[in-house]
This record gives sequence, structure tokens and C-alpha cells, in this order.
Amino acid sequence: MKITREEARRIADLARIEMDEPALDRMAAEMSKILTYIDQLSEVDVEGFEERAAGEATPMRDDIPHAPLDRALVERNAPAWQDGFFVVPKVIGGE
Amino acid sequence: MSEVFDSLRAIEELNPKLNAFVHVCGAGNLAGEIPVAIKDNIATAGIPTTCASRILRGFVSPFDATAVERLRKWGACIVGKTNLDEFAMGSSTEHSAFGPAKNPWDLKRVPGGSSGGSAAAVAARMVPIALGSETGGSVRQPAALCGVVGVKPTYGRVSRWGLVAFASGLDQIGIVTKTVREAAEVLGVIAGHDPHDSTSSTHPVDDYTRDLDLGSHQDVRGLRFGVVTEAVEKLEGEVRANFDDALAVLRDLGATIENVSIPTLPYAIAVYYIVANAEASANLSRFDGIRYGARSTRAKTLEDVYVDSRGEGFGDEVKRRIMLGTFALSSGYYDAYYARAQRVRAKMRHDFAQAFGKFDFLVTPTTPESAFEIGAKTDDPLSMYLNDIFTAPANLVGCPAIAVPSGFDSKELPLSLQIMAPHFGEAAMLRAAAAFERETNYWRRRPPL
Repeated sequence: MKITREEARRIADLARIEMDEPALDRMAAEMSKILTYIDQLSEVDVEGFEERAAGEATPMRDDIPHAPLDRALVERNAPAWQDGFFVVPKVIGGE
Repeated sequence: MSEVFDSLRAIEELNPKLNAFVHVCGAGNLAGEIPVAIKDNIATAGIPTTCASRILRGFVSPFDATAVERLRKWGACIVGKTNLDEFAMGSSTEHSAFGPAKNPWDLKRVPGGSSGGSAAAVAARMVPIALGSETGGSVRQPAALCGVVGVKPTYGRVSRWGLVAFASGLDQIGIVTKTVREAAEVLGVIAGHDPHDSTSSTHPVDDYTRDLDLGSHQDVRGLRFGVVTEAVEKLEGEVRANFDDALAVLRDLGATIENVSIPTLPYAIAVYYIVANAEASANLSRFDGIRYGARSTRAKTLEDVYVDSRGEGFGDEVKRRIMLGTFALSSGYYDAYYARAQRVRAKMRHDFAQAFGKFDFLVTPTTPESAFEIGAKTDDPLSMYLNDIFTAPANLVGCPAIAVPSGFDSKELPLSLQIMAPHFGEAAMLRAAAAFERETNYWRRRPPL
């Protein structure tokens, strides 16, 4: 499977990772090689085998609140914090 | 406390050479008697957890992983956090923001990965016990290359709460020790259902240390070991000879040994590198510069915060795997890649179930080669991935597996035998490994540090 620079750019956008053109080209080449190896999976006869394992039921619990994380400890890791909120660049109304 | 101080002294002396620890706890903060090292992708309250990534520089978890909490209650003293490939993505511990860890048997060689720091720490006798994590063999492979015991429990046996998620359907916390008995003891401490982890199993926890000393002949006499033909048919040289010697030991102890085919085994790497990377692309989307970790100072818009922080914070291997995973899940490719890989995986589970219908255990060498030199495979990601060929299948099908030292090659580098057992078959697996260990005693040799 060959990955072009444009395809790599599409994927980098989906993955929200910044990549300049040399990086995109390097990534495209590496991905092409790896995906070519992975393409051998198309040889396998998977008739009768499905994607999802036969069901164990998802375990459930009662909707009872438990103690939340200690806010002071959360704040310590926050890149930007004000009055109990994570601060981010303005989203509505442009720059 | 003296065992803890001995450990800290050993770390101070040896870590500059080995780079096994990325964080060492200060002598003032220590509680507990048994020194234990924790891989740096497992949450430890009050002690940094970085996953060996720039994107988590300075992060301190607000809570302990369940496995860490259970160890602390048992009497463990967490002496430090060990080096790993960034976000557990690698087989050599070379992809670490802290630089590579070294193999105690030869400092020019890798200790394996991703739990290379944990394996090196135990092999160099800096600690008796270390936790690691497995997604595609990341405890067994470094244990093999460092000449120590590595255990991957059945998927769901040990809680993943506090283990930074790589591939949630594959991840398990694993154990590195110098002997099988010590691993069995630790497994008993950390195993068991956890309400925090809905994938953890309610299957009862056995007493894994009981019957470990019954005597080798009772441990494996009459038990059936299946040699996976697709694993061994291409093996040659010293690894082949060593594996044959290991089988001879088992045969002398009364085991029945026959060949068995797992036809999907050769596809394990291809399946793994789609499924694991797809799950990783979702799990690593939380590293976005918003709530924790590094945020890019260049970011002007919210979108920039994500894109720039991730661009600056993730290493190349992590980016490569996120890209592969994103591709495999993307519209137009999902069926051909992710869905197909999962179907091949279902077929592999079937192959294993058939094999365990006839055999008590399946055996292979743990790795196709002994420790390679630092830098030997970093230019060719695919050649690095092929190190996991014998270990990844157990993660894909969820069965327990152990790597136990099986000797040394002509370069005096460790070699290792892998034993796989049916789901929740850890007790029998540990007994078999203990029998082999008792006959061979390779763990008594120490690296020439």
C-alpha cells in the first residue's frame, strides 16, 4: 500500500499532529513500507470469523457518585488554570 | 529498611551506566520494606509519571495505579520509576525521551523493550521486583534479553487502572523478577477484580506459590508441551540449539513434547501493528495540551494547542504508530485494515483454542535473537517490530505467558524459553516454569557489572 504526501497530510490532520513537508514525506515512506508488510493479511481466509468476540455482557455498576479527584492535585498538572477551570484560547468569535 | 537502602545504593552506583531508572525516590519519602521499581507508564501518586515522553514532562498522578496500591499495602517500597520506550511503543527502550537504557550483560546492547528499564533493574540486582507492562511482549522480550523472569498475566487478570493506556484490549501490567517464585508471589498480590477497571476479571485468584516446590518431576511429568512449528521452523544456529536443549530438559523431567501448528502465527505482527496502533491512536488523543503535560507556547488557537503540543511533545515512533492507527480506522480503509486484522485475530484465538485442546502448554523461544546493539535497528522500524513475533500472539489471544532464562549464547548474552498456558492457567504455567528453573538455575549467573 503506497501512502502519498497528500494522504499523509490527511492522516496527520485527523490525528491533530503538526508535520512539515519533509516530515510528511518521511512518514509517507515509512508507512508505505509497513503497510506493504501488513497487506499480507489479505491472503488469510477469514470466512466464518467476525470482528467482534462473541458477547460477554458489558459489566455495569449502579450510578452512585464517588469522591472526585483532589482538585489541588489536578491544578498542579494543568498548563493553564483559573478559578477551577482549564484555560484555553478563545473558541468563539475569532482572534 | 536495610533492603531498601541496599537497593538505593545499588541504584546510585549502577544507574549512571544503565539508565534503567528515570526517577529515583528520595530517601526521605520511603515507606515499606521490599524495594520495587515501577515502569514509568504506571501511575504512582506523588512520584512523576512521564511515559518517557516530553508531552508528560512533570506530570504527577493524583492517584496510585491499583497494582501499585496493592503492592504498597503488601509492604513494597517504591524506590523509583523505570525507563521505557515512549508510551510503551518499542522493543528496545531506545525510543525514550530520557535516552536508551543499557543491557547489564553488555552496555553496548539494548535491554529490550518497552519495559527495558524494569528488566535491566532486576538483572543488575538493583531491585528484586519490577512492574512492567505488556501490549505485544514488552515484559517478556526485555526479560529474555536481560536473563530474568517476565510474566504476562491473562488479559483481565490484573487491573489496568493507573496503567497509561496504549491498546486497551491488549494491555496488561506484567512482572519482572529474577526467579519464578518471586513472580508468583507478586502476581498473587496484584491480581484480582478491580471495580475501577471494567475489563478486569472476577475469575478467582489462585495461590500461585502453592506447590511451586513439590519437586520438578511432579511439576511436569505427564504434561503435554506443544512446540509451535511456525515459530521454530525458521530458527537456526544458537537460538535453535538452545531451544532444543530446553526441550530436552523438559523431556527428562517427564514431559511429553510434540509439534503443533498455529497457522495464523506468521501473521501476528501484521495483526498486532494494526490493532494495537488503531487503539493507540484513540488512547493517545487525550494528550492534547489542555489538562496536563506540555502545552506548546506557540499555540494561538485551540486547534494549535492540540496540533503544536502533539507535534512538539511526541517522539517519532509514537507519531508513526498514531498515524498508522488513524489510517487503519479511517473511512475507506477500516474494512480492509482494522476489521480484517480483527478477523484474523479471531482466527488466531481459534487456532490457540484448538491447540490448548490437545496440549497443557505451548512453547517457543521468547525471542528470535539475543540482545542486539543499540542503534542496530532504529533506522528500520519494521525490523524492530519483527522482534515481537513469538511474544505478540499471547497478547492478541489474551492467554498468560512467561519468559524464563534458558541459557546463554556464545557472546554470553541471555537466551529465554517462553511457556504459554490457557486463560487463567497461571498456576500450572508457573509450576512448569519453576520446574525448568530448578533443573537449570541460569538465574544464578549475574551480569559482569
